[in-house]
This record gives sequence, structure tokens and C-alpha cells, in this order.
Amino acid sequence: MIWKLILLALTTAVFSVVNAQVKTFPFAYTQQDLPNGLRLVTIPTDSPNLVSIYIVVQTGSRNEVEAGKSGFAHLFEHMMFRGTAKYPPEKYNQILQRAGAASNAFTSDDLTAFYTTFSKEDLPEILAMEADRFQTLKYTLENFKTETGAVLGEYNKNSSDPEEKLDEVMHDTAFDRHTYKHTTMGFLKDVQDMPNQYDYSIKFFDRYYRPEYTTIVVAGDVDPKTVRALVDKDWGNWKRGSYHPDIPVEPAQQGPRESTIDWPSPTLPLVEIAFHGPAYSDSDKDWAALDALATLAFSRNSDLYEQLVVREQKVDRLVADMPQSVDPNLFEVEARVKKAEDVSYVREQILETIKKFQDDLVPSEKLSAVKSRERYGFTMQLDNSQSVAAAVARYIALRRTPDTIDKLYALYSRLTPEDVRAAARKYLTENNRTIVTLTGPAAGGGK
Amino acid sequence: MKLGVAGITGIMGALLAANGSAQMRTVTLPSKSPLVNVRLVFTTGAMMDPADKPGLAHLTAAMLAGGGTKDLTYKQVVDAMFPMAASLNNQTDQEMTVFSGTTHVDNLAAYYKLVRSMLLDPGWREDDFKRIKDDTINSLRVGLRGNNDEELGKEVLYATLYRGTAYGHYSLGTISAIEKMTLDDLKLFYKQHYTQSNLILGLAGGYPADFLEQLKKDFAALPAKDATPVPAIKPEAIDHTRALIVEKNTRSVAYSLGFPIDVKRGDPDYPALLLMQSYLGPHRMSGGRLFQRIREIRGINYGDYAYIEYFPRGMFAMEPAPNLARRSQIFQIWIRPVEPPAAAFTLRLAFFELNNLVQNGIPPEDFNRTKEFLTKYVNVLTKTKNAELGYAIDSLYYGIPDYNSYIKNGIAKLTVEQVNAAIRKHLRADRIQIVAVSANAEQLKKQLEGSGPTPIEYNSAKPAEILAEDKVVEKLDLGLRPADIQIVPVAAVFE
Repeated sequence: MIWKLILLALTTAVFSVVNAQVKTFPFAYTQQDLPNGLRLVTIPTDSPNLVSIYIVVQTGSRNEVEAGKSGFAHLFEHMMFRGTAKYPPEKYNQILQRAGAASNAFTSDDLTAFYTTFSKEDLPEILAMEADRFQTLKYTLENFKTETGAVLGEYNKNSSDPEEKLDEVMHDTAFDRHTYKHTTMGFLKDVQDMPNQYDYSIKFFDRYYRPEYTTIVVAGDVDPKTVRALVDKDWGNWKRGSYHPDIPVEPAQQGPRESTIDWPSPTLPLVEIAFHGPAYSDSDKDWAALDALATLAFSRNSDLYEQLVVREQKVDRLVADMPQSVDPNLFEVEARVKKAEDVSYVREQILETIKKFQDDLVPSEKLSAVKSRERYGFTMQLDNSQSVAAAVARYIALRRTPDTIDKLYALYSRLTPEDVRAAARKYLTENNRTIVTLTGPAAGGGK
Repeated sequence: MKLGVAGITGIMGALLAANGSAQMRTVTLPSKSPLVNVRLVFTTGAMMDPADKPGLAHLTAAMLAGGGTKDLTYKQVVDAMFPMAASLNNQTDQEMTVFSGTTHVDNLAAYYKLVRSMLLDPGWREDDFKRIKDDTINSLRVGLRGNNDEELGKEVLYATLYRGTAYGHYSLGTISAIEKMTLDDLKLFYKQHYTQSNLILGLAGGYPADFLEQLKKDFAALPAKDATPVPAIKPEAIDHTRALIVEKNTRSVAYSLGFPIDVKRGDPDYPALLLMQSYLGPHRMSGGRLFQRIREIRGINYGDYAYIEYFPRGMFAMEPAPNLARRSQIFQIWIRPVEPPAAAFTLRLAFFELNNLVQNGIPPEDFNRTKEFLTKYVNVLTKTKNAELGYAIDSLYYGIPDYNSYIKNGIAKLTVEQVNAAIRKHLRADRIQIVAVSANAEQLKKQLEGSGPTPIEYNSAKPAEILAEDKVVEKLDLGLRPADIQIVPVAAVFE
């Protein structure tokens, strides 16, 4: 499964610490490193009986440095379900079934995560079984080729959605060298060539499925000592690797770029405007400032939303996002326009809005409302063990510790209107900009 | 779990059959959580849409949740909810319309004040109405027909199976009907169906002790009249397997197929069929039989699943949403998009598996494992308070105990013979409605007719056992005569 950051400010889940003494992440947790480099984070919660495990590997489409290999981290997520000598896929699935487990995996730019939620009595068996596949995965050429068919099937089920195409073309246009140039799904030609890449897949496993890239997050009805003992027993002998990818640095963009997409079937036009932004940071304010700006300028209570969606009704969706990424990524604004003739107007209004944020200071009460929203948004998502583990997993990909959550939110609480304006001036410039427009035959009506 | 149900007696089932007693009902799940979940369910929905106004129930609910109140514009509502990270969501199905939201207890009073005004004192503004109409039309035209072949196939399957009944249209309605609707239509629907007798007030989490009483008092402002009788839902019998191909310009072929079943929650065979569903496999269960045979072994597509209850938006959710209760359900198989050269073979493979299930039942070892699975997995379904509350409301509607105990007890007693008998009684491998969403519809039609072989080509060697099975599958007669296959252009669907 491909995991794409939804373009909603809320999902970035940052909030201010109203009282500096209050921990933003409300759970006490333990963080331990095994001698082989594997990290274990255990988070006891008060939800009875259930346990959720997230195994996070710090590799994603960002790590796909070789040409023709886009989509490989995601393919490898699939291959991890192809079994070992001790637990062939049928047995693996049967054990998960007996545990009544909900289990899945996802890949994004920066991580691959495998998660399972189940009753606590099955913890020893599931941890042992997971340890086995991370250390002794073995699949045949035939199984490899079969699984590439499932990956192509995933491409196919996504392919009727123009948003996927927009994302693909935006990254391909805006980036020249960095691996964020391709999506996690990969280019279609690379996906179609996957059946021929068996040997590379073995190399990929050897490089990245190593303890120093891996963190196990266990949340729920658990005792950290018991979990540590189980992890020592099953994961302690896993051998450390030595590979360090050489991820190309993206050179500064030298001028505005544009692309257009002709979509084959009826749809509403989409306009996306993006700028090269900063990487995630819990110490430098730029990322947090642009995250706040995305909400202030383009969310449902923004002036532009009120104008384009509520009053003029020219747009039926307006969203913006500054993704949390290991390396510098794109600040993106996207609008779905009801009539093709309004596309250039909408585009101008978005650019005008950005200019306003470069010229003027945002009222501090508006910034406070954003801080409040993020605080409640974050708290409200932590309502079960699976969500707690999931929330931590995304920060593991960035800094490999939940500590970064408190640091980020403390930083966020110190944001000022000046910080927001400074970030707008620094990043949202014409030279740094890419615009992609997608249009298809009229969807009809267009009222 | 603490399930507090007020206003309900032992004859609840009978009362519900008449669409509720004269009073509003309540379901409460108090806890120490700092969050409060609110679910306000009206037992009305698309089944009550007038024949010439399909989509009216949905549009009314969307207007309440997405428009202003008497005193506040929509913008003011959004601004007020913004710092709380709160919202009011709406979902309209055939039998139920639900308004739901979650708030931190710090903000409960302010949040509730907004919700109360939205539901009891709606603003009915023309500009909100125009925006919400546009949104609904675009959901149909772009969201469903344009961008989501799988959901489109599923909804066309439902609309086809229930043709001629009150479930015979998609809850969002049709584009031409929505274009003609007026605010007066919505106001009338609201007046007729947003009544105390149709309302179930659901609360979970750390709300104050007197909060429920306040809700009951406030919502007593709704009309107290007797409930409107609900229409009978009797889907037409299918006398012959038939297929509808929705033709559109798309990369791959998506299928949904099935038939109505006479089993819903609370019926004697429900636990047995739910176990069958777990065996064939619901969404994302990689241990499911269909997932194993179609995706895992053959690598044909992304996944293949089976359901005995309505499960919309399945591609965006691991678990089904609550409050989609229905008096009539279908058995369905969902085949995720397939590359066109493998399309005919894959449909035959699904029929082959279904036939195998009906003829031979579930093998005893698989039965035992599936039983263990379901007994524990039911806890995962209700892992959040919000889901637990939704399930509790559905249990009230169906007249069953809380869902987890109902399933655990129902399954504990089951034998493999009973499950296989229920499968033989309710399932079949013929007289099936197939819906395909595909380009080149004529070509697909030719491949599906008769028993001319439609073999599959793999990119890798397969075990001899699979190749031998494929030889049977590729010639399997679906029972489709040319006249049983219809083609409809996508632009005509839900138009």
C-alpha cells in the first residue's frame, strides 16, 4: 500500500504547547537500543487487551537512487510478505488469522512500515514471527514475478484517479536530481520492468533491512521489560549492515517551471502550485512556519477558501501542505476548479494570496487559532493504541525518536507572525515555483 | 463494556420494525476519556426519497452539516470550529442518516452549541444550497464516475439488484434530479423525517453527567409525530446470471458481483455467514481465500474480497464504517482492477471459487482458524470509542446485544456443518449479477459469453496444480448468453 500524505493541514499534526510544562506527546515511553543498532520504543497505553506493533524501516522512495528502480521500496514492502523457510506465507497468514490480527504495511518517501494490531497474548509469537522475516526472508524468482503483478495491480487501481497523475508530474517537473523526483509508486515503465529485477531486489533487502535502519514501536497493553526481553531473544542476533545511500542533493531551482496534463476522461481541472521548501526540522523554524502558512492561507477558515469556495464558488476543493520529509520537499497548494475558464483566475488568486503573506504580517490571533487547532487535532487522533503507534512511526522516519514530537511542538508554540512572513519570503519565490495544470474533456454541466 | 440504553424494552425489535417508538432513543458509552464522541442517527435515508427526487435525503443532511445556521453563516460556523479541530460529518445511507463528530471535553459546550444550531435551527441559505448541490453533482460526475472505477461498480451493482424497490437508487441520487431540487424540497424532507421517533442520540467518552439530559431536552424541539412507515424492500429474483458493463476510458477492468441474501444482523444465520465472509476474506485480509487464490498465487491484481453487508468507500478504509444498517443486504465479491488481457479469466476464477465454496463448503481446519480469527478480530473493529458507539447504535437498530458479545457468542456455538449448511442455503454460484467497469466493452462482452476458453498468461512459472486448475477455469461457463450482457456508457450512469 502506498501511503500518501493527505493534503490537509490537520494531518501534519503539529500544535503548540500552551503550558511549556505539559508534554505534547502525553504517553510515557521507553526507548532502548540493542547492541546491533536496532531501536525499540515501547509505549504502554490504557487500552485493555490490544497491542499494536509498527516496525519502521527508514527506507522509502527517497532511497531509490539508481535509474530505472523507482518504486522499489514499495515493491519490497510487498516482498516482505513472501515468507521464510520457517514461516512460509500460508503459515504466516494462518498465525495472523488465529491472532485475529489486523495487519498491513505502507511505504512513503522516507519510510516503509509494517503494522499489526492484535490481542496481547499473541505478542510473543508475533514478535518472533516478525523477527524471522526481517532476518531470513527468502523468495523464489517465480514468487517475485508473481508479486510484481500485484504491484502493477496497485498501480492500476490508483490510475483512474487524476490526483495520482498530478502528484507524479509535479515531482518529476520540480525536481532534477533528488529522488523525490519520483513518487513512491514509481514510474509506470519501472513498475512494468519490475519482473526483470529479481537480483536487484536481493540487493535492496541486503542494504536496508538491517537493524540500524529499523525501529520497533510497540504500543498498548504492554510492559516494557517483557517486550525488551522478547526483542532481545528474537532480534538480538540480527546482523548490522554497512550500506549508506548517496542521495543526490537537489540544486537550487533557477526559474519558474510549468507542466500540463491532458487527462483522457471527463474530470474537473486541477491546478497545483508548488515551491521547493525546507526539510522537516524540530530546531529551525522554517518548516513549522510554512506548515502554519499552509493552514493560515489555504485551509477551510482562510480568506481565500471563503472567497473561492464559499462566496464565488469557483473552486470545490482547496488544500495546501508542507510535508514532513527527511530532505527538502515541496510546499504544495492545490485547487480543483469547477469551470475550465476560471483556471487562470484561480491560479492568480493563489499567487496573490502568497504575495500577501510575503508583504503583510498575519494577525497573531489567527496564528493562535492555528496553534490551538493543531494541539487539539493531535490529541484527538491518539484515541487508540494503533493511532498512537502510527503517530510515532512517522516521526521515527524523521528523527528516529518520539522526542522530536515535543521539540517540534515547543518550536511551533514560539512561532511568530514574523517567522511566517520570513518563510514566505524565503521559499515561496518565483524562481522556486512549479505549476502543473491537469485538464480533461468537460465533466459536463459545469454549473 | 458499559452499554446504557434508555427507552428500549424487550419488544424493541418489533418497535423498530415499525421504525421506532414515538420517543427518541439514546445510546451512551461513558468513559474517562478526555474526548467526547457524538453520533446523532436519524433512522431515515435514501429509501425515503420521493420517486422523482432521488438524493433528497443526502442533500438535506449535507445541507445541515455543510451550511450555516439561522444565526451564523457557514463561514462563521467553520471559524468557530477551527480552533477546536472539530467538525460535523454526515453520512446518508438507505436507512440511516448520521451526524457525527468528536471534540475535546474542553470544547464540548461550544461545539455542542454549534451542532445543536446546525441540526435544530438550520439557515437554509441559497448560496450554501448552490455550493452543496455542486459538490454533490461533482461527487457523482467526477468523484465516482470519473475517478473511482471500483466504487462505481459497487454502486451500480446495488442499484441494479434493488431496481424497483426503495433501495433502487444510489444515496447521492442522480445528477438530473439534484439539479432540479429546491430548498423547499429539503425543508419538507427535514420536517417530515427529522422527528423524535426517528432519532437515536449516541454519546461516548468523558461528557458531563447532565449532558445527555440537555441533549434530550433540546432535541425534544423536533416534531413528536409518529414515524412514517418504511417501504418494504423485496428485491426481484434473478433468474439468470447477467452482466452490466459500464464502458469508460480506463486502464483496467474493475468488477463487483453478487445477489441479495435474506440474512442481516440478528438473523439466525448471520454469524455463520460472517464466518464465511472472513474465510473468503474482507478488505485487506491477506489470509482470505480470494486474496490467496487470485492475488497471492497468481499475481493478477491488488486484492479480492467478499462481503455480506454494505461497505461503501472500501478503498479508503480498513474497516467498514458503522451506521450503514439495512434491512436487506447482498452477498458480493469485489475484484480489484485487473489488466484487460486477464479480465475474462479473473471473473471465471471468482465464479470457480464461489462454486467450490457452495459445493464443498469450508474445510474443517480453515473453519477452526477462521473461528479463532473472528472471535478476536471483532475487538479490532471496535477499537475506538467512536466505532464502539457506532456499533452500539447499530445493535440497537437490529435488536441485538452489543456487537462483540453477539459475535463471540454466535460463533462459539457454530459447527462447520452449520456454517456449510448456511452457505448452501444462502449462497449460489449461478443467478448472479455482474458489473464490470471497463474500456472496450464489446470485446469484454465477447470474452464473457459462452465457454470459449479465455486463458491467462503469467510472467513466471506456476505450480502444476495451478496450471491444471487454470485449464478448468479458462473454460468455465458463466452462463451468460449474449442477451444477458448489457453495455452502458459511463455518462448515462446516475445521470
